[in-house]
Amino acid sequence: MDELIIILVRGIGLGAVYALVAISFNVVHNSSGILNFAQGNMLVLGGLFGFFTLTQEPGVASWLVLLPAAALLYAAVLAGQGWITLLPLRSSVEQHSWLITTLAVSVIIGAVILIAQGPFALNVKSPFPSFALLGTRTPAPYAGAVLLALAWCAALHWFHTRTTTGLAMSAIAQDLEAARAVGIRVRRLQIYAFGISGAIVGSAGFVAAPVMSISADSGIIYVVNGFIAAVIGGLGSNAGALVGGALVGVASMWAAFEFGGQFQNAVSLAILIGVLMLRPQGLFGRTAARRV
Amino acid sequence: MKTVIKSVLLACALVTLSAIAQQRQPIKLGAMIPITGGGATVGESAQIAVELAVRNINAAGGIAGRPVQLVIADYQTDATAGVSEAKRLVHQEKVDIMVGPTYSQVTLAVLPILNEAKIATVNVSGSEKLTPEVGPYAFSMLANAEAQSKLMVDYAIRNMKIQSAAILTDVGAQAKTAVEAMKAELAARKIRLAGTQEYQYRQTDMTPQLLTLRRANPDVILLFTSNGEDTGNMVKSLNELGWNIKVVGSFGATFSGPAIKIAGKDAYKNLVAVNYRGFSYCAKDPASRGFEEWIGQVKAHKPAAFDRQPLSYLSLWYDAVYVMKAAVEGSGGKTDGPTIAAWLERNSGSFKGVNSGLTASKQTHFLVGQGALTIVYPDRTRPGGLLERVDCN
Repeated sequence: MDELIIILVRGIGLGAVYALVAISFNVVHNSSGILNFAQGNMLVLGGLFGFFTLTQEPGVASWLVLLPAAALLYAAVLAGQGWITLLPLRSSVEQHSWLITTLAVSVIIGAVILIAQGPFALNVKSPFPSFALLGTRTPAPYAGAVLLALAWCAALHWFHTRTTTGLAMSAIAQDLEAARAVGIRVRRLQIYAFGISGAIVGSAGFVAAPVMSISADSGIIYVVNGFIAAVIGGLGSNAGALVGGALVGVASMWAAFEFGGQFQNAVSLAILIGVLMLRPQGLFGRTAARRV
Repeated sequence: MKTVIKSVLLACALVTLSAIAQQRQPIKLGAMIPITGGGATVGESAQIAVELAVRNINAAGGIAGRPVQLVIADYQTDATAGVSEAKRLVHQEKVDIMVGPTYSQVTLAVLPILNEAKIATVNVSGSEKLTPEVGPYAFSMLANAEAQSKLMVDYAIRNMKIQSAAILTDVGAQAKTAVEAMKAELAARKIRLAGTQEYQYRQTDMTPQLLTLRRANPDVILLFTSNGEDTGNMVKSLNELGWNIKVVGSFGATFSGPAIKIAGKDAYKNLVAVNYRGFSYCAKDPASRGFEEWIGQVKAHKPAAFDRQPLSYLSLWYDAVYVMKAAVEGSGGKTDGPTIAAWLERNSGSFKGVNSGLTASKQTHFLVGQGALTIVYPDRTRPGGLLERVDCN
């Protein structure tokens, strides 16, 4: 029983990282219909920021200052990426060049990390001590990722329901053409959405860096599991992303424990297939009418 | 009559020129290296080694008087990409000889292409499945999985007096062979197998696997790994669980630089591992000048990357190029697979490189046998990456 509790706690922590990637998927997708497949490597870049700015024995105060700095930096980076991605599109639903653009950005980031940092994974120390759990030590960044995921979820809920900009973004999510017709500056808000998603993955990478693999080829793990979490939870639903992320994290760890490490990645794909067969809109997703 | 003589002379001149041109035509050496992907850490060492070897060979006059032209293929540590790159090297680049790949699952995937083209290769892969029948022109510098596994089990039984053992490996093909070899050896010596587990490359949290193994209360973990990062992540997870168990690792566990960065300076407190005897030392051993010169060359070639290189592994790729040179020159300059393979099966023992005492034959194409291996403390190093043997006293 103790072992299952340890796996549950670590799985939720790992799942929170996937949930944060899923939430950043949602923010961009809701406003533009785009799935930004560079999010995995952007998360790794967040970890890279931690590697460059945190010392071998980082202090809590400097960590607290650097966390919003990471969010702001990657908000700017993602806004730039969003501008480039959206440039050839009048509306993202008309063509799918974003698919190539976002994958290309991901490949470029991986190549730049490899050239600049070499093939070895980089290690980042956490300023927070690991916490005791049933005779074991659990790294604090797992708890940090959970808190951050909850905080971003709450912040986005407030933003989308209490601010004019957020409400306008929600309008885009519901009907892009109607939003444009009533004078909402769609392109600008879409770039804002990219920026917000950058703040989410940038801060997530910074917080989770000590438990992540920060290397040129690690992004694929996080983008795939983040995407699976988003689809399981229901694309567009941040609450769904939280649940989907936790489900993927716990299930993959439990599968490794119960059946062997070779099943660790396969189980999340199996859950994805199961959810798509039984509830294609995801656990918290909503079906929408479509004109044919 | 004069016309006939002129024609004969012209023909002779053309034949001579053609022979000279052939002599000076570069030998194309294809090198399949995982520069990217999960094996990129060892790929960096491989690239440094092959580039340095080719530079040194060309500076000394090439192979059989012909300069060597190096063509590197990055297969991204992926078997599918490996097949594409092997086809490119064979059909597009038209390489004469090859070194690599490393990672058995990739090597097994590309061998049919090399067999069909009759191209000889010296790879750095350790699966038992790499038999002379599967790869008639393929040889390996890596100690095979069975040799490593037997030594690991033997050491654990003799020195740790174990009654039970757990096996933890990565998901590679070589590791799967190692699991079978370790299971067989444990069974033959009546040691209880407490459990087996696998992990994905670069998995940062191995607690689920370790929790499974801990349930069965083994006396030792036999860790078959391919790099230092995974070793470090395993030790870090062990520390987080507070599980103070002895570990006997494979050759990959000796790559101590990345492991210590991840798990701290005490990473090897409970861990010993397999290494090449030529890369081990006892305190009383004198230093070797030739070896130190070679280390100096590696450092001068890539100074920024030197500190993180597992030199024992790097030497395998360096020697792979020189083994190929010896085989081509020993075969009168011929580069075809059957000729190279026949020469290596008969003469590999005469090779003198950074590593020596090679033992390939018609029965096995693994150039390094169990006798060339020993158990070391991976964190007790001498300059140049020599590791202290456990049997010094």
